[in-house]
Amino acid sequence: MIRNAEDVRRWLMNSATCLVIVYLVLPLIVLIPISFTSGNTLTFPTPGWSLRWYSEVFSDERWINAFWNSVVIAVSSTFIASVFGILAAIGLTWGKIPGRNLIFTLAATPLIVPVVIVGVASFSFYASLELVGNRISIILTHAALSVPIVLTTISASLRGFDRTLLRASASLGAGYWRTFYKVLLPMISPGVMTGALIAFIISFDEIVVASFLSIGSQRTLPRLIFSGVRESLNPAIASVAMLLIVFSAFVLALVVWQHSRRVRLSNR
Amino acid sequence: MNDGIDVKSMHDRGRTPSQWKYVLCIAPMAVFLIVTFFWPVARFLFKSVDNSDLVSNLPRTVIALADWKHTDGIPGEDVFAALVQDLADAHANGKDGIVAQKINQRVVGTRYLVIKTARIAAKGGFAKEALRENVLKRFSKWGNIELWSAIANDLKPLTEFYLLMSVDLQKNPDGHYESVPEEQAIFLQVFGRTVWISIVVTLICIVLALPVAHAIVAARPNVARVLITLILFPLWTSLLVRTIIWMILLQGNGPINSTLQLLGVINKPLNLIYTRFSLYVAMIQVLLPMMIFSIVAVMRRIPVNLMKAALSLGSPWLWAWWRVQLPLIMPGIFTGSAIVFVFALGYYITPALIGGPREQMISSFIAFYTNKTLNWGLASSLSIQLLFLLVLVWLIMLMSRFVFLKRTEK
Repeated sequence: MIRNAEDVRRWLMNSATCLVIVYLVLPLIVLIPISFTSGNTLTFPTPGWSLRWYSEVFSDERWINAFWNSVVIAVSSTFIASVFGILAAIGLTWGKIPGRNLIFTLAATPLIVPVVIVGVASFSFYASLELVGNRISIILTHAALSVPIVLTTISASLRGFDRTLLRASASLGAGYWRTFYKVLLPMISPGVMTGALIAFIISFDEIVVASFLSIGSQRTLPRLIFSGVRESLNPAIASVAMLLIVFSAFVLALVVWQHSRRVRLSNR
Repeated sequence: MNDGIDVKSMHDRGRTPSQWKYVLCIAPMAVFLIVTFFWPVARFLFKSVDNSDLVSNLPRTVIALADWKHTDGIPGEDVFAALVQDLADAHANGKDGIVAQKINQRVVGTRYLVIKTARIAAKGGFAKEALRENVLKRFSKWGNIELWSAIANDLKPLTEFYLLMSVDLQKNPDGHYESVPEEQAIFLQVFGRTVWISIVVTLICIVLALPVAHAIVAARPNVARVLITLILFPLWTSLLVRTIIWMILLQGNGPINSTLQLLGVINKPLNLIYTRFSLYVAMIQVLLPMMIFSIVAVMRRIPVNLMKAALSLGSPWLWAWWRVQLPLIMPGIFTGSAIVFVFALGYYITPALIGGPREQMISSFIAFYTNKTLNWGLASSLSIQLLFLLVLVWLIMLMSRFVFLKRTEK
């Protein structure tokens, strides 16, 4: 009797879980057939299969241009956020800084403040410097949004780092930079890489700030999709969305791989 | 001992410079965030009370109107002279557009009046004698007492005009605060709607996340890893892409409608997109993973045998869950709710693309007043309200968590 009730409960729980997973994942999968349609509209079932919308995307200069804009912006902002993040993480983890928790909280505010406020505020700020439509304004704002993530992941790996290794390295005659490059950086690299990959994807996928700051030929990929969607939902958009999902999945795989590396490093 | 080393002072000497080194490590990030984040945001939020565009461009009018009250009737010759002179200067400095915009924000439909008056004033088009009559003859709108009291009411370096407007209030000519006319009152409704949508989304997220979190914790490690990856994957996909997918799925001839039609459940497409329903569906799909992970993180630390103990003592499962399991999960639910609710409050892209006009949240209005009407004061005031809401939510969360933990400790 009890045995039975528990089975029913487990069955209910598992089916509820399956339904939720389907709700979360199925939409992403349904996009695959839709993006390969041969028709002119996004109907499903599709009238036929073709690669025409993908070839259209790859031959359209605007999409290619926007893709490179996004890559340049994401790489630059990730680099800036990582440099500031590594330095600050070292200072905050190893130093005995008064008000350390306050600094962590303040550094996390870019994540908490609604992005639309960050977007409008940056727009107003960079407009006064005549930098709207310039990549620099987006790069700096995206870097500010990424700093909390990078800071958190790097701090986590620094806490697991044995500082006697630094003294060992110094006693063997290595200077600051040499110790940093040869000892510290390789040891914390999984944390740095995880933070950097998340920062990259934050910038690469970011649309709200971009919708205020990126205009004309400097439009990022999400920005171009956003304005395209507002005009019409056509299959080219579905193809670009599909490419973005594949791209994100690839970066996610890298993150998971880095994470397993970190686990292995810390188990050694 | 007297020739011994003073260990303490050596320690201090050794310590002070090394701490400076760490402060220097933090400094670049601090400076960077101040310049690219805190300063722009503070500067933007200040626009909610900043009135310098109006005051600094109408210096003579400010003085001339100092003693004027709306009961005095239309202002006299001196005020008109001051205004004409100020507008002429503003036109010469290219500031007439901004003055016109600011006055127009207070009394709608006065933009061209101000610009034309300024243009004529700059050319010296108004006769010096009987200036007041002259201006009034050309532009009878300057005889509008409400326009004058709106200007006179607000000739201070800092104004409360925009903040009041963002909560549907205004200052009447006597200087008292009153509600704006009903047809202009929109913002309180938008705030209510934003909070309501966020509450519904958070509650549904809790309900959907609980069974999934239970399943992940109960599953074998390999299965749990697969489940987590499946949940992580949509979380990792861009918000814009997920919103677009829901647009495609929910549209009139999209997969959902055509499947239902094929099955004969319906005979004409359902109106799914641009509704409250579509907004909930899309927002919950985006925010649910965060709730699941928050709950799983807490659940993993709960010993399994507590539930078993309660059950073995004869408690019905639901009662045991309610009394034993749920209180232990509560911290995770609080954290998850805070995250989901705060993110939901600030939603902009999803309502803009998938919601109808009645689904627009505060963020959409902040963007609208920035992009479309360049009303920075109002956009900034609405942002302040949004931040205020956010802080309030965090305080409530902290407090309820505190009260809750106190109670369970007993």
